[in-house]
Amino acid sequence: MIATARIGLIAVFVTLGLFFTFVSTAGVIRLPDVFSRAHTASQADTLGAGFTLAAVALTLGWQSATVKTVLLLVFIFVTNPTAAHAIARAAYEEGIEPWTTGDDRR
Amino acid sequence: MSSDPADNDTGGTITRQRPVYTESQVIMTTVKAVIPFVLTYGLFITFHGTGSPGGGFQGGALIASVVLMMAFAFGIESTREWLSNALVVGLGTVGVAIFAGIALVPMALGENFLEYTAYYPVLGDILGLKEYEFVKYGMEAVEIGGIALIVAGVLMGLFFALAAGVTPPNDTTPDTESAADTGAASNTNTMTGDIDTEGANK
Repeated sequence: MIATARIGLIAVFVTLGLFFTFVSTAGVIRLPDVFSRAHTASQADTLGAGFTLAAVALTLGWQSATVKTVLLLVFIFVTNPTAAHAIARAAYEEGIEPWTTGDDRR
Repeated sequence: MSSDPADNDTGGTITRQRPVYTESQVIMTTVKAVIPFVLTYGLFITFHGTGSPGGGFQGGALIASVVLMMAFAFGIESTREWLSNALVVGLGTVGVAIFAGIALVPMALGENFLEYTAYYPVLGDILGLKEYEFVKYGMEAVEIGGIALIVAGVLMGLFFALAAGVTPPNDTTPDTESAADTGAASNTNTMTGDIDTEGANK
């Protein structure tokens, strides 16, 4: 019973992780300017990596590698949005104007 | 790394207007929180490598990334001043010297290049190690004292050299548009053009 629930949870997490990573990738390719791309790369990708790493931690069970996986998850949650923030901030300071509705850019 | 960045600044030929760097509370806080862990992880990876995954190259890259993060958070110029150029170059130089020393001493003792077991007759009794252990600890010494230092120093130097930017020659004026135009597209155009002509002039 527990084992079945665990495998089901792992499948759900991997599926969600794949979904969010796919959304993030599609966004980076399709969105019009650097700000919206940084936005999708930080938010959707952080969630995708988070779900995937959670699935990995569940698969490994109780051992030292799980602690490392959880640590990795924590650091991705901390650093990934900060990196996107830094990129968007640098782009803004360079004078790149954000894309708005009506603009016809790529 | 050879050209002093201070000289570039006083030349006054940088056409690209860099905005004054303002510190970001978000980035500074995150970097402050993350740096100890990254440095520990870099050392962890550096000290592994003979019997477990890791190595001097990856560890050195992580140690250099600490300096890169600090430069991103607290300003590149202030980090460059805090970490003098001599120290960055010295890291690489000392690394090469240690590597060459460890590698060449066996040749002086009549063995091959990097043959760690040549140290055994000299140091075996002093250190109390067996002959095969010299291979392991010799490799560790090369990785920690040689490769990690070289990679860390070279990566920091490359980063600072890249951050110093290109100083374009005076005779290249961008198109008919005014140079004061701060549009992003024209900036990138002048940048690429300048890089090309600089290569031709030198």
